[in-house]
Amino acid sequence: MTLLDVQDLHVEFVARGLDNQLRIARALNGVSFTVAAGEVVGLVGETGAGKSLTALAAMGLLRPPARIPRGSIRFEGQEIIGQPDRVLEKIRGRRMAMIVQSPLTSLDPLKRVGDQLVRMQRVHGTARGAAARAKAEAMLAAVRIPDPARRMQAWPHELSGGMAQRVLIAMALVNDPALIIADEPTTGLDVTVQAQVLDTLRDIVAARNLGALVITHDLGVVAHYCQRVAVMFAGQIIEDGPVQQVFARPAHPYTQALIASTPGRIAQLGWTLTGGTPPDLYNLPTGCLYRDRCPRATTACLAPPPRIAVSDSHGAACHFAGEAA
Amino acid sequence: MSPVLSVRNLIHRFPGGVHAVNDVSFDIAAGETLGLVGESGSGKSTIGLLVTRLLAPTGGQILFEGEDITHLGAAALRKLRARLQIVFQDPWGALNPRMTIGHLMEEPLTLHGQGDAASRAAEIRRLADRVRLPAASLARYPHELSGGQLQRVSIARAIANRPKLIVLDEPTSSLDLSVRAGILQLLDELQRESGVAMLFISHDLETVRLVSHRVAVLYLGRVAEQAPAEQLFANPAHPYTQVLLSAHLPPDPLVKLRRHEVVGEIPSPVNLPPGCFFAGGCPLVRPDCTTGPPPFEEVEAGHRAACVRITDGTNHLTPAEERP
Amino acid sequence: MSFTHVLGIARRSPTFAVGFGIILVFAVMAALADVIAPLPPTLSFPYATLKPPGTDPFLWGSDGNGMDVFSRTIHGARYAFGIALPAGVIMAVVGIPLGLIAGWRGGWVDEILLRILDVLRAFPTIILALAIVAATGQGFLNVILVVGFLDSPIFARIVRAEVLSLRNATFVRAAVAAGNPEWRVLLVHILPNAILGATAQLPLRMAWAVRISATLAFIGIGVQAPAPEWGAMIRQGSEYVISGEWWVALFPGLALIAMVLGLNLAGDGLSDLLDPKRRATGK
Repeated sequence: MTLLDVQDLHVEFVARGLDNQLRIARALNGVSFTVAAGEVVGLVGETGAGKSLTALAAMGLLRPPARIPRGSIRFEGQEIIGQPDRVLEKIRGRRMAMIVQSPLTSLDPLKRVGDQLVRMQRVHGTARGAAARAKAEAMLAAVRIPDPARRMQAWPHELSGGMAQRVLIAMALVNDPALIIADEPTTGLDVTVQAQVLDTLRDIVAARNLGALVITHDLGVVAHYCQRVAVMFAGQIIEDGPVQQVFARPAHPYTQALIASTPGRIAQLGWTLTGGTPPDLYNLPTGCLYRDRCPRATTACLAPPPRIAVSDSHGAACHFAGEAA
Repeated sequence: MSPVLSVRNLIHRFPGGVHAVNDVSFDIAAGETLGLVGESGSGKSTIGLLVTRLLAPTGGQILFEGEDITHLGAAALRKLRARLQIVFQDPWGALNPRMTIGHLMEEPLTLHGQGDAASRAAEIRRLADRVRLPAASLARYPHELSGGQLQRVSIARAIANRPKLIVLDEPTSSLDLSVRAGILQLLDELQRESGVAMLFISHDLETVRLVSHRVAVLYLGRVAEQAPAEQLFANPAHPYTQVLLSAHLPPDPLVKLRRHEVVGEIPSPVNLPPGCFFAGGCPLVRPDCTTGPPPFEEVEAGHRAACVRITDGTNHLTPAEERP
Repeated sequence: MSFTHVLGIARRSPTFAVGFGIILVFAVMAALADVIAPLPPTLSFPYATLKPPGTDPFLWGSDGNGMDVFSRTIHGARYAFGIALPAGVIMAVVGIPLGLIAGWRGGWVDEILLRILDVLRAFPTIILALAIVAATGQGFLNVILVVGFLDSPIFARIVRAEVLSLRNATFVRAAVAAGNPEWRVLLVHILPNAILGATAQLPLRMAWAVRISATLAFIGIGVQAPAPEWGAMIRQGSEYVISGEWWVALFPGLALIAMVLGLNLAGDGLSDLLDPKRRATGK
């Protein structure tokens, strides 16, 4: 069952420069993807590719100067774009929950962990009183926090980074949402802690048949915790498909360059010069946005590339996606 | 050949009794890169600051090109900085926002008395070219450049006076993957050209494996294991190294993960236990782990680990179940 | 600085634009006072005292000495700038080095600065200024010096706070690592970055200086009548408010309010403009 269905999403920012001219940054340029129950979808890309913006849009959290000129975001069949906050507030934290990068700043420093979990339920009317406390404690146990009864009384500043991230996961899950959006959930955590937190998240998602959208810049997280992956570049999804297929046979030159620049591949294949600056969002070229950096670019790339399927579930927005590299 | 840098029994305490660096020793030879890996609180960045004398060590000795620089005075230290350089993690914060890139690159030349204005201008252009920075960026200010370009400026500043050692403190950690590769390649080229020694500090095991000749693994300010890079990754001897490597997520879905879990709590750096610091989290802990500091035993040639189990060969964690 | 730039700044901080506009008007008044003012400011018409506004030749009426309120108010701008600019210079010259050293080195300089600030916080500044001016003599120069030096520690504290946050900045550490001597780290790397935040405070402190000097004159210390100083004029005019001659105090009062408001708006707007986080996106 499809939980989240994003189609042709465009997001732009309007800013006024020093010269008093209005300038429009086209941050998202036609993003389409779906997340179904029981699957973990990875949204991967580099800084400024639009990953977090996509997540914020899906949560209905975009505020001016951001605006959505085109596109649709459907969650459980209901359109999100244009909904007033009072409607969205019933969805956010209830049916659709978000886990953000900095756990310690996302917890209320003046409230005990248990009280925050209880409040989360009371706000959404899912439970109150003793039932809410019992549910809160059960959630802490579910995210594998040792001695949950004692941790209910803990203050946020007493938690380590990994523990705080687990509490945040518990907060996200306490109202039994259908969809989890995790924005760089383990960035900044130590390797050993990251692995434990991700294991916890994956096991819960599987056990409860949730849908999850994991936003990350870390290909390792995608490779081991996601079933499907969507690769973003300059506000577009340039390749999507099952993780194993995309890593084994990346079809878009950008995905190929990205994988080739992981240290492990460099050690095997030597240095391949990559990099280059992403296109100027204020002044986007027409046609393929990766054209200027692409080793395969031809005049064909002056036209916008369609998504070309390379298998029934794997496709890339490149004129040459079907051909061998 | 004598090493470029010798660190002996280095100790550093921060105010408040934080034992940041606890008896660390290592050498780096010319043309060599030593990778320093560890998680937060391992003291790796502190060691970088101590080695470059941006912090004064509490104890121990730092020998640079045979000279004891542990207690060098301010004037001598300034002169030394021509040959002993550091590149920081945050490229956006490491350059004075009010100076142009050209000015920033000229500064190390001016400070160490390199030539007149005309020869310095020529040298700046050569440096910019060397680090693959477009000449047009010399007139720009830091906020006009990308993170990768800024890191190239920092590297250009570091190599301006042909140093013998560069400390690289997480130089690519805040950069995007594709940009990262370009910086690592540049560092590799610079080392091949000039034979500069490098101390590469990072939490990223993959990067360290790629760039380092030898690797030292730090745990709470102590070297847990030190070995040639390939030996360390192929045959990690210290249980902590094994746990660390097992938690790494290689960017390849076909590599199966075998996770070793840490069992207990990490001790506080204010109140460290007398024995092995990892004893509290080690799945292989035994009574003699907690009595005193573990010996730094030789595993094979050039490969040592601080674990009491090395001598009887019982230091290997049993492979955990395979994870999907 | 083209017209579109001016317009751009005005759009990004209307507060600054309005404040700067007000200051500009007063600056023109001060510079061209002799041209704008129809009469000399201290020319007395003994038979035409307390004439209401509109009585020829008094646009805003005349005061108790038969002097033209309009001309005097215009000339008062000279006194306002005469206090604001030198006091600002003293604050910068004394406060910046003090704040720089206190923030960078800490130690006894910092201790002394902090203790002085404690004292200034404990006493109302107006009382302190009053006491010092009364003790040292009542010349205009004295007022300038007292106001300038009294406010210098406050300005130093602003610089000190900036330096404290810059001290641990990576680029400062990088400057040391490059081999910069300490004085160069301080002057080349810290100072230009520290005074930016302090610059925005300067108009606010100058507004304070204008206010204090007017207050002193109002109390009768500092600038003395018949000098066309707004505070002194208000003091003189206050005697006639009850008897219905409101114009003598009102016009200099309005001028004082406008000038202080202009400086405050400019200062507030400047801190918005200089704050990179609030800069509009777009290069």
